[in-house]
Amino acid sequence: MIQEFIVGIILGGIPLSVSLLLAGLGEMFTQRSGVFNLGVEGIMMLSAFIGFFVVYTIGSPFLGIIAAMAGGALMGLLMGLVSITFKASQGISGIGLFMFGWGLSGTLFRVYVGGVTTIKGINDIYIPVLSNIPIIGPILFSQNPLVYVAYLLVPVASWLLFKTSWGLKVRAVGTTPAAADTVGVSVVKIRYQSLVIGGVMAGLAGAYLSIAQAHLFADNITAGRGFIAVALVYFGRWKPAGIMGGALLFSMAHSFQRLIQVYGINFPYEIAVIIPYILVIVVLAFTWKSQSLGPLALGKPYDREFRG
Amino acid sequence: MRKILTIMIVLLILMSSVAFAAGSKEAVDDGVIKIALVIPSTIDDMAWSQAMYNGIIAVQKEMGEDKVKVDISEMLWNAVDAGSAIMQYASEGYNLVIAHGAQYQSLLNDIAPDFPETTFAYGTGYSTDHPNIFAYDPFAQEGSYLLGMIAGMKTKSNIIGIVGPVESGDAIKFNKGFILGVKATNPEAVVRVAYTGSFGDLVAAGEIAKSQIAAGADILTGTAQQSVGAIRVAEGAGNVLWLSSDLDQSSLAPNTILVAQAYNFTKVVKEMIDSRSKGVLGGKHLPLTLENGMLQLVFNPQLDSELTAEMKAKIDTAKKQIIDGSLKIDIE
Repeated sequence: MIQEFIVGIILGGIPLSVSLLLAGLGEMFTQRSGVFNLGVEGIMMLSAFIGFFVVYTIGSPFLGIIAAMAGGALMGLLMGLVSITFKASQGISGIGLFMFGWGLSGTLFRVYVGGVTTIKGINDIYIPVLSNIPIIGPILFSQNPLVYVAYLLVPVASWLLFKTSWGLKVRAVGTTPAAADTVGVSVVKIRYQSLVIGGVMAGLAGAYLSIAQAHLFADNITAGRGFIAVALVYFGRWKPAGIMGGALLFSMAHSFQRLIQVYGINFPYEIAVIIPYILVIVVLAFTWKSQSLGPLALGKPYDREFRG
Repeated sequence: MRKILTIMIVLLILMSSVAFAAGSKEAVDDGVIKIALVIPSTIDDMAWSQAMYNGIIAVQKEMGEDKVKVDISEMLWNAVDAGSAIMQYASEGYNLVIAHGAQYQSLLNDIAPDFPETTFAYGTGYSTDHPNIFAYDPFAQEGSYLLGMIAGMKTKSNIIGIVGPVESGDAIKFNKGFILGVKATNPEAVVRVAYTGSFGDLVAAGEIAKSQIAAGADILTGTAQQSVGAIRVAEGAGNVLWLSSDLDQSSLAPNTILVAQAYNFTKVVKEMIDSRSKGVLGGKHLPLTLENGMLQLVFNPQLDSELTAEMKAKIDTAKKQIIDGSLKIDIE
């Protein structure tokens, strides 16, 4: 019973963590470069629609994912245009991007699809033999293909950020943009690139929701997951492994609260539902000072002429 | 610059108030019934809102499109936005304004006295504070009791799952009736209830359905718009049956949805129109029950073989007993 319960928590938690992890990793690059993109939620919604729509019309989940990522990239560029080129306040433009994505995805869905429609999408795979191993079989070898992609992207993101010269530029631009500028790093270019990567990852996260997890699209399908991803970037101290830890912790807490309901453990469900959020706040509060600071220039539009 | 701006704003306010005054005409009796519907989701949500929409359209078809004019505002979950739509409809002379949700009750209580000629309706609810408000009230526990009986007879694992939205009025009525129904046919079976904490989070509903199935449930049920997400998961699992509420959802998953408890809003709308024509604009509580036929069980013909004659007879007997009052479903 206890073992079944724990396996149940992990099995329920992993699919939940994927969209948070993907969007969080993308937002990490964005924030590392000094741009605070609150519009992740909107990018996810629009991409979830684009992915769904491509699968619905053409039938290819692969093309759906590519299209969703392309849509995410465009949304990232849009955020760049507003917050880097026009130097608008990042918080406000992020909220604008969120509303734009929400409204546009909902409207397009109403006009071109209409009501509830399910798609085949991407199903979980069962790796032969290995998935029959007790406990670890179902956990490690019978997941959705995108789950493996998301977790493989953690070391990739880490390598990109800490081991490549591009990653160094991203970090430099996000910490002291003026210094990076004087040594010839284009702050604008690096920030645009980071926003596009963030958009592509949020796009993949959205596609995961509609194509792999729900197999349908509905208005507000993300239901706040994009905002949680932004919070997880702080939680993970702008590091891929930390974000993964945060995504897992949050998802497992969610899975736990669902299972205590499913198993009829006598506990008020209203409190169970907020456990994951309380947990994140508590961990945030206690880890804040002990670790490295975030990107110093986060949230500040860069202006060459302004030496403030 | 500022002056021009001020003048423009003043002009704008003046113009809109003139437009509003022009629009506020009393209901004219030209034999045409104008119905306005305000819903929290969309007319094709395959759930609560669509059930009412289908009902109104059926009435329109029956009475003739030249006799019944229908207007709809969707996605007005937010009561403030809904309030302005309701006011607008009332001031434009609509005869029957249906605000389809329990959350609109206090709004109607505020608005209804200003438009004494207009009939307002909302549901789920029972209190009618003004003589021009109808409150319709699905007795979900009656239908869900029958669904529960079916679940109890059909389960092999003796584990039945409910994917709930928010633990509030409607869901509680449905769940309690359902659990009593299960106990009536299968005292051994366990009913596990889990809520998402939302009405429209389809992904979360799907995840709960997954957890329920992983924990052994082979029959699932649930209410609200989000249930579509759970149905998709039940369908994907292959050997799980889903029991629907609100309307016949079998087109969503013809091999998974066995039966639905459906609300017959056609009758509700007709009753309100009839009552209006007799000069009673509201002030009544309209229960949807098995007895008055506003609550029905709709079986999916494609899965007819799933139910034996014996099972059907049992359901029929219980239905008759609920109707004649010999079987009371105590959900207090």
